[in-house]
Amino acid sequence: MNILVCIKQVPDTTEIKIDPVTNTLIRDGVPSVLNPYDGYALESAARIKDNAPETRIVVLTMGPPQAEPALRECLSTAADRAYLLTDRAFGGSDTLATSYILSAAVKQVEELEGKFDMIFCGKQAIDGDTAQVGPELAEHLGLPQVTYALEVLEAAPEQLKLLRETEEGRQVVGVTYPCLATFTKPAFDLRFPSFRRRAAARQAEIVRLGAGDIPRIDLTRSGLKGSPTKVKRTFVPPRKQSGIIIKDDTAENAAAKLCEALRSARVI
Amino acid sequence: MADYNPITPEIIAELSKAVPGRVMVGDSVNPDYARDEMPIYGTRMPEVSIDVLSTEEVAAIVKICYENRIPVTTRGAGTGLVGGCTPICGGVVICTAKMNKILSYDLENFAVTVQPGVLLQQLAEDALTHGCLYPPDPGEKLATLGGNVATNASGMRGVKYGATRDYVKAMTVVLPTGEVTRFGATVSKTSSGYSLLNLMIGSEGTLGIITELTLKLIPAPKATISLIAPFAGLAECISTVPKFKMNHFDPQAIEFFEKEILISSEEYLGKQVFPRRVEGCQVGAYLLITFDGDSQDELEPVIERAAEMLLAEGALDVLVADTPPRLKSAWAARSSFLEGIEEQTKLLDECDVVVPVPRIPEYVVYVDELAKNYDFHVQYFGHAGDGNLHIYTCSNDMEREEFLRQVDSFMASVYQKAMELGGQISGEHGIGMGKVKYLAQAAGPINMALMQGIKQVFDPRMILNPGKVCRSLDC
Amino acid sequence: MEARTKDLWVFVETKEDGTAKNVGIELLSPGRELADKQGGKLVALVVGCGVEKAAKEAACHGADLVLTVDAPEFREYSTDAYAAALTELLKKYAPTSLLIGATPNGRDLGPRVSCRLNTGLTADCTNLDVDAETGCVCWTRPAFGGNLMAVILCPDNRPQMGTVRPGVFKKPPVSEKEAEIIQEDFRFPAEKIRTRVLENLREAAGELVNLEEAEIIVAGGRGVGSAEGFKLLQELCDVLGGTLGASRAAVDAGWVTHSHQVGQTGKTVGPKLYIACGISGAIQHLAGMTGSDRVVAINKDADAPIFGVADYGIVGDLFDVVPALIAELKKQA
Repeated sequence: MNILVCIKQVPDTTEIKIDPVTNTLIRDGVPSVLNPYDGYALESAARIKDNAPETRIVVLTMGPPQAEPALRECLSTAADRAYLLTDRAFGGSDTLATSYILSAAVKQVEELEGKFDMIFCGKQAIDGDTAQVGPELAEHLGLPQVTYALEVLEAAPEQLKLLRETEEGRQVVGVTYPCLATFTKPAFDLRFPSFRRRAAARQAEIVRLGAGDIPRIDLTRSGLKGSPTKVKRTFVPPRKQSGIIIKDDTAENAAAKLCEALRSARVI
Repeated sequence: MADYNPITPEIIAELSKAVPGRVMVGDSVNPDYARDEMPIYGTRMPEVSIDVLSTEEVAAIVKICYENRIPVTTRGAGTGLVGGCTPICGGVVICTAKMNKILSYDLENFAVTVQPGVLLQQLAEDALTHGCLYPPDPGEKLATLGGNVATNASGMRGVKYGATRDYVKAMTVVLPTGEVTRFGATVSKTSSGYSLLNLMIGSEGTLGIITELTLKLIPAPKATISLIAPFAGLAECISTVPKFKMNHFDPQAIEFFEKEILISSEEYLGKQVFPRRVEGCQVGAYLLITFDGDSQDELEPVIERAAEMLLAEGALDVLVADTPPRLKSAWAARSSFLEGIEEQTKLLDECDVVVPVPRIPEYVVYVDELAKNYDFHVQYFGHAGDGNLHIYTCSNDMEREEFLRQVDSFMASVYQKAMELGGQISGEHGIGMGKVKYLAQAAGPINMALMQGIKQVFDPRMILNPGKVCRSLDC
Repeated sequence: MEARTKDLWVFVETKEDGTAKNVGIELLSPGRELADKQGGKLVALVVGCGVEKAAKEAACHGADLVLTVDAPEFREYSTDAYAAALTELLKKYAPTSLLIGATPNGRDLGPRVSCRLNTGLTADCTNLDVDAETGCVCWTRPAFGGNLMAVILCPDNRPQMGTVRPGVFKKPPVSEKEAEIIQEDFRFPAEKIRTRVLENLREAAGELVNLEEAEIIVAGGRGVGSAEGFKLLQELCDVLGGTLGASRAAVDAGWVTHSHQVGQTGKTVGPKLYIACGISGAIQHLAGMTGSDRVVAINKDADAPIFGVADYGIVGDLFDVVPALIAELKKQA
């Protein structure tokens, strides 16, 4: 099996704080991490390889050269080869343009690595939170998709069986190859890098691809001009005005006051 | 046995005058105040509880209790494991948890002054924003600093940084008479008579009540890397521990644990973190080692050398946690051992013996052999790097009486063995009420008499935390 | 694609029994407003199998026209069949905008369709309006874990598409007249569907956690302290007829399962009443529950951010307050 895992390096959004004076995002000092959902996707690929050691895992990211540490983390845990898709022409892309560029890159990488049986992505990146790049990549490549996958149950020769999270619970889904799956949070993390793999990953070559390396790419579909959506403005969400606070009262009195308020507001 | 007086309505009125609105009596006393995290040693509701806010309030309460000969037990978050804050003679419980302000930093001296109810986690996070580390790191992050000092807690980072004792510069203390005094100073050394400061540390609330602390900080290390070394069996895992010091490594922490206890912790967290098989081989035990330093680059050659040593000693693999999320998840699994055990166990007792590091392998073999003679299940893990072992006796199906009887016999043997190997009966949890008789056996009559004499000097009416440390007492 | 009408479409997702999922009907509220501002009709597109009930529900909740795609291959959601149906009808009618509920299926489907039509899609919107300058839809959505809101436009490509969070909007009132329902005869060959649901593993009865559609939620956080503590909250739920929710801290600690989690990485809820017990109110949690009509916060820490979004706050120990609240509710019941 030949598996491609698409990853992204993101700011750790759980570490982002709001400047209380200017009411803006404090981005300084926020650590960059491998998008956790991409980690789950990579771990799912690694588990396939645990059972079928001949499996090959390739990782691909689109981003600035500073995204290399995320690729090295993948190499140090499970990936056999890493590609960095980087070019100024790719900057400012929305999800449609990003997925188009990725699709062109996937075709290029396949010429080097052979066809991929599976493409795994994180459900969403924790900075953009769109959950759109995976399905759009599948559409560009004409692949069937399974989103919100929790884990791979079996990579059988004729179909990939995945456990998928739904609104009502979970379901087992089978999908034919080649296919694309996006992964949500399972009951495990990406494995720890082993010391030896990590040492090798620090030295490993990361293949860089620019627009010039992808002959068939149509750059009018890339970057700002290839992006149908435009950001009009951004703002930090206002905090709601605070309500009635009951303080320094006995639990019984507080409970009685609360019930009274909820009843008069016809909430209960 | 001391003779205590009952708490009369007049005394309650006097207390209420001293601390208006916060004197709780009878049913309005928080039931948590009857116990700590180890109710197996017994629980007892106090007649009165008071959540205090200042040194003056504590002094006023203690003075009233001293004059009326009423027992006083101090508590913080109640996360102790030896029944140290259980008011076994009833009386008044003073809770310092609401004295939770970090008062000031003295960054020129790397010192911070706090109230005793500040939580360890609260100080740890706040100190980091000042670029400082408060090194003591017991597994329980929701413990108060007052409690940490009272038990001389230490925990994971003890290997490199020592125990709480090494980080207490000065303190304000309310004595059992109600007098207020101050021990220690913000200096780097002292040779100024008996160290009353050090007597207070680890005295478990029997000599005085700590109402303010000045603690030492260190510059926060800029880089931290943990190594996880799975081994096939416990023997080779444990025997690797002394090799770190022998090979001139200076790790911040070395923890060891067996797979079984890890699984219960991971089930508790709902997440699998550590590998259970490595290239087809079942893992039996793990070492978790942390190095810290000024930069990642400085640490790289250290972890390379440590990893080579671990592999040479039989580690199946060496895994690296070098990013904040990785470090967090590795240590979250380690920090939840007790919660994992508690969730799965109805009857639980524990001890935390400490032996010289090179004797750990021998000791563990002994405990494993010994455990075979009992009906309960024995689980243990430990701060391998400083020879401190937490041993848990767990049962879900034994009768309580039978459990207690067997535990008593088991504990006597494990303590005996620890002493034989040159160890001590508690590394960091303290004596409380659960371990008094074992301390008496271990310390011997001469040392016990010295301790009792010290108690007498501080607390002539024996009102402070009766029945703990060096005096057993049943009320 | 060029828009040939000014119509606004709402995709109404159906359940397997042919009824509409709440979010589809909810979206008729902002849909009405946007359609009026853009001067077009409000059209509901209902896809499923045996969808009369869902179609009727849309027809009497303010839609001007209801289109249905009703065939066995749509009984169970599949990316292939649904994406084909939507693309086909969007091409046929060429509306100017399309709203899709941001359910797992909606977020699976939306990008497939927008990509096939080479148009823009804005994910997981929490507010909608019309841009005064361009007349385009203003899609407002959270990013950076809810720390930042972005307003997105799709100026040149049609249809403008967005997925919209369930629970953000309220269902519109029942309209006086019922809209016309037109059945489209689109079919998709079942053998061309490349995914198969092999098994549905529903949560066991009693464990089904439907937070998105709950009217009352009692949620617990780090302050609840243990799985045992959640039993107390469950008791309050039982008295109120509510559903149990939790913050990420409580889920990570293993006290409740992930299906109870509210917040950025959990569920987004919009109940009439949200009672937060021992939840400090991290931004990630607030992102999932600020759509609630009324928020009650019970917390020991008077400075907890949760009080900033609470309509009623009680500063106190939840283990005192919640039992008192249960007693008070029982007394008056």
